Amino acid sequence: MEANVEVKAKEVIKSPSGFSVVWRELIKDKLALISLIFLIGVTAFVYGTAIFLDQEEIVKVDLFSIYEPPGEEFILGTDYGGRDVFGQLIIGTRNSLSIAILVTLMTGIIGIIYGLVSGYFGGHIDNIMMRILDFFLILPFTMIVIAFVAIVPKYSVWTFSLIMTAFLWMGIARLVRSKALAEKELDYIQAARTLGTSNFKVVFKHLLPNVSSIIIVNMTINLAGNIGLESGLSFLGFGFPESTPSLGTLLSYARNPQTLEFRWWIWVPASLMILLLMLAVNNVGTALRRAVDARQRRG
Amino acid sequence: MGFLKIEDLKVHFPIKGGLFGRTIDHVRAVDGVSFTLEKGKTYGLVGESGSGKSTTGRAIIGLNHVTSGKVYFEDKEITGVTKAKSDFRKDIQMIFQDPYSSLNPKKRVIDLVAEPLRNFEKLSRKEERIRVQELLELVGLNPESILKYPHEFSGGQRQRIGIARAVALKPKLIIADEPVSALDVSVQAQVLNFMKEIQDELDLTYMFISHDLGVIKHMCDHIGIMYKGRYVEEGTAKEIFDNPQHIYTKRLVAAIPDIDPRKREEMKQFRAEVNSEYEQSYNDYFNEEGLAYGLKPITDTHLVALPEKG
Repeated sequence: MEANVEVKAKEVIKSPSGFSVVWRELIKDKLALISLIFLIGVTAFVYGTAIFLDQEEIVKVDLFSIYEPPGEEFILGTDYGGRDVFGQLIIGTRNSLSIAILVTLMTGIIGIIYGLVSGYFGGHIDNIMMRILDFFLILPFTMIVIAFVAIVPKYSVWTFSLIMTAFLWMGIARLVRSKALAEKELDYIQAARTLGTSNFKVVFKHLLPNVSSIIIVNMTINLAGNIGLESGLSFLGFGFPESTPSLGTLLSYARNPQTLEFRWWIWVPASLMILLLMLAVNNVGTALRRAVDARQRRG
Repeated sequence: MGFLKIEDLKVHFPIKGGLFGRTIDHVRAVDGVSFTLEKGKTYGLVGESGSGKSTTGRAIIGLNHVTSGKVYFEDKEITGVTKAKSDFRKDIQMIFQDPYSSLNPKKRVIDLVAEPLRNFEKLSRKEERIRVQELLELVGLNPESILKYPHEFSGGQRQRIGIARAVALKPKLIIADEPVSALDVSVQAQVLNFMKEIQDELDLTYMFISHDLGVIKHMCDHIGIMYKGRYVEEGTAKEIFDNPQHIYTKRLVAAIPDIDPRKREEMKQFRAEVNSEYEQSYNDYFNEEGLAYGLKPITDTHLVALPEKG
């Protein structure tokens, strides 16, 4: 009996399941495949090396090695404080990626739950929840973040991610709600209710799997946006202080015309990293989007 | 008291409009319907589309909000109970019209069929699998296909999965909302005969909602005919088909196709007669709003919506 069921399980996997469809799409789209490999490579390298690097050591000012061009001692040279740019790049990429991933996951979780509840229950609950969401939408995001930076003296990846999350969950909540509204009218939701399934189970076991495709695609695209988000704020001077390197802080050194013109090694690597990361995530995202929609599939 | 008793059931849907989405009017989907079901029998609810027959069925099981009226099941009132784990949920089940949308596409057969079992019975994984396989065998599906997805089955097979789900808890009453109208004719007969078989086997009562008179004639002991949310005639299958009293019923019964080509002319003429009678006497049988009158008994079981003047 046991063995029989095992054999059956293997046969079932053969019928195109979610993962195999996505995989075939990636194989067909070479750009997306290269992007995925690049992403995995960079992430593994950055998180791996960052374990062995001492952030305190890297951000320590060394007046004897200011503005060293790339060379043997410093692979990517040093900045105006004599700090190793390569070390900063690795720690910075890790910090920026951590923020992007954290913000994407947290906005995802909040947005999905909010959207599902609002869409499934509908009526007055939906009305009230959507008005609260509208309120969050009209808040001036940048101004509040700037005020936050002024109030909180020392903030970390976590606090930064939390404040970002507070203003970025609305998009996915709206998307999930609209999909849930359409999906809940289908008979299988009604059928689940006549079979005595509780609302909680209907929402998370029936509704969620059926809106999951749109969520995965949307969250991937969001991830690309969130990498740029931190850099943008740091560039403006409202991101991390120099003691916490990130791609944005490295980039902001380019505000100095001298650095911009003569000391390319400080800001070019960070800019390239942002560009490549965002492009790569977007490429994977578009491949995922095609995999979800059968009409657009290439594989 | 009856097994399932419905008293003056009304389901009205608001029409929103104007400033601030006020309710300006109501759609009277079901407008005062009363009937009783007997245990072990099949009750047919017939009517054209939009006559409120599906809404009646869904209101009984609690999927539609009941505006007024009472529903009693085994002498207990179940009107407006929306709690997921009420006792009656176990005893009343529903078979849905569309076998394509009534099964969650992301779930395997074992999860679909075991869903009611997980809600009401505490079974171990192994017991659960055995029960699901028994149920699949009962509905004539391969018990080894428990790990397949619904899209790997044909329409008829999917409807059987729906039936397996409905009978999993050994219910007393099954509301079948046009269970075969999405299937092609050869599969219809298969599913209907199968439903009859399990009726004897599991001692089920059916409430059969359909617009297909052929199906109703084949399945039902008692029939109720609905028009615009009201009953126009109610009686045993024999009374309805052999002795229709209301002009709407007459016209409906006359519309049943006859496969004998020699009677073609005869039938054509008969239908023309019924149709002209319908047009002439329409105002006698329906009030100013085009609604049916209240039911009046002709015999013990036969009730017809006739006007006061007779």
